[in-house]
Amino acid sequence: MKKLITFTVNDIEYEVAVAPNRTLTQVLRDDLNLLGTKEGCGVGDCGACTVIMDGKPVNSCLVLAVQAGGSTIKTIEGVASGDSLHPVQETFVEMGAIQCGFCTPGMILSATSLLEKNPHPTEQEVRQALSGNLCRCTGYQKIVEAVQEASRRMKG
Amino acid sequence: MLLLPKFDYEEPKSLPEALAMLSELKGNGKVIAGGTDLLVNMKKGTVKPAFLVSLKKVEGLREIAGKNGGLSVGSHVTVSEIAGSDRVISSFPVLARSASCLGSPLIRNRATIGGNIVTARPAADLPPALIILGAEVELKRKDKTRTVPLDGFFRGPGSSVIENGEVLTQIILPSAPPFTGGDYIKLGHRAALEIAIVAVASRLTLDKPDGVIVDARIVLSAVAPTAIHAVSAEKTLMGQRPSEELFAKAASLAVGDCSPITDIRGGAEYRRDMVNTLVKRTLLKALSDARDMKGGNA
Repeated sequence: MKKLITFTVNDIEYEVAVAPNRTLTQVLRDDLNLLGTKEGCGVGDCGACTVIMDGKPVNSCLVLAVQAGGSTIKTIEGVASGDSLHPVQETFVEMGAIQCGFCTPGMILSATSLLEKNPHPTEQEVRQALSGNLCRCTGYQKIVEAVQEASRRMKG
Repeated sequence: MLLLPKFDYEEPKSLPEALAMLSELKGNGKVIAGGTDLLVNMKKGTVKPAFLVSLKKVEGLREIAGKNGGLSVGSHVTVSEIAGSDRVISSFPVLARSASCLGSPLIRNRATIGGNIVTARPAADLPPALIILGAEVELKRKDKTRTVPLDGFFRGPGSSVIENGEVLTQIILPSAPPFTGGDYIKLGHRAALEIAIVAVASRLTLDKPDGVIVDARIVLSAVAPTAIHAVSAEKTLMGQRPSEELFAKAASLAVGDCSPITDIRGGAEYRRDMVNTLVKRTLLKALSDARDMKGGNA
């Protein structure tokens, strides 16, 4: 039987009737049409489905949509303010941290979440914070550099 | 895309309501906490509960509190909360260390301490640390509460003493005696999202900083159907003055205490060698911590 849930996604409150067996990834993509959240492995290994749930990055493929009732969610669509990109988005674009782009939404969400808690992370801390997000193109180096550059820009 | 099979879902508002619900469901209901293990298994079709009961609205399962000089940890405390808790880091650094080795930051934000115990995986990260710390778990059912030591809780892969209708509510950690130190080392191919090839948790208690060993606990993980004590290694340490030679002897005895298998993560021979190495390393760290710390830290 479907359950009625209320949750806030990117500052908009939604009321959605969901079947218990649908994941947060599915409801964000199929019901809310927020296609920035990707589904990769579906079992919590790759991080393509990363969203920020109540302030913390999580694998949305391993959260039931019904479990997200009452929560506040941020997806990649909620990272920029209007037309101006977040510094992490800017540096990802400028510094070649994006190749195929499939991991990018998750990477950016994990990175912004890190910089909110720890504005000046070391390289090791950046790598650790992104360790649940897999990228098969870049070899990570440019991603790590982009996060560090964003940290420097946000300081100024 | 991996889809979940159909099931029903409820969020009872209190523990008595949840326990009544589980008792009525008999074996058909399962508790969902973080879901990071359960939902993977449901997607793969290895478990098929008809009903999931979420305790997210139940109060009192998310606290880390002082208890008789030790700690009580609610079963729904997340692994990242444990890894980052000042209280855990200062009183039980080995537990904090093992929590920071589990999965990835994304997994740790959802996975719970209770979930990591009840799933009874042979390579789970928290049980070895919890066992050497002497943890007990509180199990509640509709009409009964019992507290059992975590040592002896596990029966085999995926199997434990927990019964249908029972919910793990608290993990209780007794205060550690003075001159106690410990360590947890997990060996994996990479630093994150890894299931241990071998993991070892050790704890030593001395009678005084330069004294003899009065308590020794060594738990080996991923080298037997459940986390196990290296019984003969522990025995050989008792009452002895710590030295590198003694630790080397204990480490080689620990190899005989385990029964690893060869699988995709590593060969049995390699695992035995690594048991030897990791037991030695954890004992050296445990000893230096035991000598440094005057009271009650492990």
